[in-house]
Amino acid sequence: MKAYHGKILRIDLTAGKSSIRTVDERYVRKYLGGQGFVVELVYHGMPKGTDALAPENVLAMAGGLFAGFPIPTGGKTAFAAKSPQTGTLVESIMGGVIGAELRHAGYDALEIVGRAEKPSYIFIEDDSVEIEDASELWGKNTREVPETLKKELGWDVKVACIGVAGEKLVRFACIDCEERQAGRGGLGAVMASKNLKAIAIRGTKDLEPADPGALMELALRYQNIMENAPSFKEDTVYGTGEFLGWINKEKGVFPTRNWQTGVFDEREQIDPYYWATRYVSKNKACFACTKPCGKLFEIKSGKFAGVAVDGLEYETLYSLGSACGNASIESAARGNELCDVLGMDTISAGVAIGFAMELVQRGILTEEDVGMKLTFDNAEDAVPQMLELMGRREGFGDVLADGVKRAAERIGKGADRYAIHTKGMEPPAYDVRGMKGHGLAYMTSTRGACHLRAGFYAPELVGKFWRWEGIDRQSPDGKGEMVATMENFMCVYDSVGLCKFSRGFFLIEKLCEVIEAITGMKFTEDELLGIGERIHNMKGHFNHREGVTRKDWLLPTRVLEDPIPAGPSQGSTISPEQMNKMLDDYMAARGWTADGDPTPEKLEELDIA
Amino acid sequence: MYNIVGLSEEVTKMVKMLVPYPEKCTGCRFCEMACSLFHEGKINHADARLQVHKKDVRTDFPSVCTHCVACGEECCVHACPVEAIKIEDGIVRVDEDECTACGACVDACPFGVMRMEETAFKCDLCGGDPTCVKFCPMGAIKYEEPNAEQYEKVKRLLEGE
Repeated sequence: MKAYHGKILRIDLTAGKSSIRTVDERYVRKYLGGQGFVVELVYHGMPKGTDALAPENVLAMAGGLFAGFPIPTGGKTAFAAKSPQTGTLVESIMGGVIGAELRHAGYDALEIVGRAEKPSYIFIEDDSVEIEDASELWGKNTREVPETLKKELGWDVKVACIGVAGEKLVRFACIDCEERQAGRGGLGAVMASKNLKAIAIRGTKDLEPADPGALMELALRYQNIMENAPSFKEDTVYGTGEFLGWINKEKGVFPTRNWQTGVFDEREQIDPYYWATRYVSKNKACFACTKPCGKLFEIKSGKFAGVAVDGLEYETLYSLGSACGNASIESAARGNELCDVLGMDTISAGVAIGFAMELVQRGILTEEDVGMKLTFDNAEDAVPQMLELMGRREGFGDVLADGVKRAAERIGKGADRYAIHTKGMEPPAYDVRGMKGHGLAYMTSTRGACHLRAGFYAPELVGKFWRWEGIDRQSPDGKGEMVATMENFMCVYDSVGLCKFSRGFFLIEKLCEVIEAITGMKFTEDELLGIGERIHNMKGHFNHREGVTRKDWLLPTRVLEDPIPAGPSQGSTISPEQMNKMLDDYMAARGWTADGDPTPEKLEELDIA
Repeated sequence: MYNIVGLSEEVTKMVKMLVPYPEKCTGCRFCEMACSLFHEGKINHADARLQVHKKDVRTDFPSVCTHCVACGEECCVHACPVEAIKIEDGIVRVDEDECTACGACVDACPFGVMRMEETAFKCDLCGGDPTCVKFCPMGAIKYEEPNAEQYEKVKRLLEGE
């Protein structure tokens, strides 16, 4: 079993002890790595009904199968736990190096349970595992924590940490590693609930591929393919927001002012074609990425002078931009920086602010309630101000720090009519009223509204992908099976640790030879997709066990009832009939009950116990 | 034009060396992995003949050494007690037969790229087709005419750590 160590490190913070679980090739063939490993650890790791913020919750971390090996864009790290935001099993993937470093320390995965008595950090240096006092780190932001730890432990130590938002148990707090985040689902709050501020790792062990020559050849081949692809220029010059103008103007599905419309007329400044040449001082990459879409965005003058942030991603241009009616790129950049240093997911944070702004617009909330002029017109100032309050749970920020679903319950007065989410998760930057299958994917995503569990925006917006052509984004037909298949595809991606922006280069069949060069193990495309199916079914079964059933999957009322009022997707909704048809198709394609649970036969078929 | 130690000006104009461009580095560390794989057939960042530093949100940079750029009194050549580090055609080389693995050069190297296992070892330009350069599409490491200014930039960044 080349490339693997056969060891999972388990740290019990309550007992202050660590132990090793050995795993064999059978385990690896079942779960691959990355997401597969962390889902397995969380799925089997806690009894039914465990509170997400209780010591019994499992926080798992693992590098993907490729992480640590030179495969372009293949360096991802997966985290997972039961989420305090959705109550489901949430995995969140980051481009940080921490998972690869864990492998260099000699472990295929890390499982953290319990709760330390006082603020602590974990320091793993190969076989040495220490739980150290982090009293001095508590209260520090996600830039100060690694800086402090590296001064003490050495510049080459890799650090994943939480910010103040995590400490305050903001339900969408993230985990940060080198300006890259496991952003979604509040895993930062889970980490804080364990009194764990940071994980520091120095790994000095070799990672040995099965066939070094073949691996080098594959690395060079894909490096060349990527560098010569048209998307190389788009990514390296404009970043992930390159297609913002197209989504907004040509497709009309760029959610604006809390999803009141799908076109942001004031988009000029937040479009990378405006800001890339004015504010970007260098490219930034995830670990092991030779096709960098990250940008160092710096503001040198004006009221936001001093901002330096790795961004802004497409999703953030929506959440801190259009979703809040914010036409100021400098304000959005400051907001992005605040989210990063405080340690919050930019998507959920921005959507929560846009939600509150609509409540003010409709008179459900007043300026006195929220303590500031929280309006779409005043977004430039209000967005950064409110983010500071949310990250520290001060004033009205405390209400929004629980996410739109819980905030709506607390506010009452019909506020839930304007809370845009599925399973309690605020949605990313695609107005699914004009993208029916992507709307289905928001419902079926095991972590709540997500663009990446199925990545279905790409097939629907482009009209073709992989096995399909002539896809009609406005039709619900056939979407059930397609979304289910794409979910399996993406589970494989997150298990090998590849960036989803590479899915045009590495279709699943292409992964087989890479996996063989690294591990020596042979897989077929169907076997890999079967592993993806297993992983997705485990998440689905866990969620149903925890009481998250079809009723919680459903789309927000706005998507069902309020047509997009203008633009290329004008008139679009997903009707309740369309929604239910797609869900029924999906359950049938999955072999799940109508309520959203894998049948016993399906579990047995996939060898899930 | 910078004059590499051990070479005449005329020859210097004709040689190529690894030149780091900190402002272009994205911090992905792909070059480290590729270097280690090429030379050792496995991945270990300590085996890489170059290093990528990620200091803060603004600062990522590669640290390399090929030709002698006259680091000064602190350099590996001066540090070696048995004169096992030699400059041949401008390139800094370790004579493995003479190296006693004392580690003095590793401590002295201001760029942090002198490595040690059974003997000291360092970048050998992959025999004239550097692997790191092939894998850096951003041009953060180039194989080109000598440019000492870029080495100075890296040295200043390292001193700031």
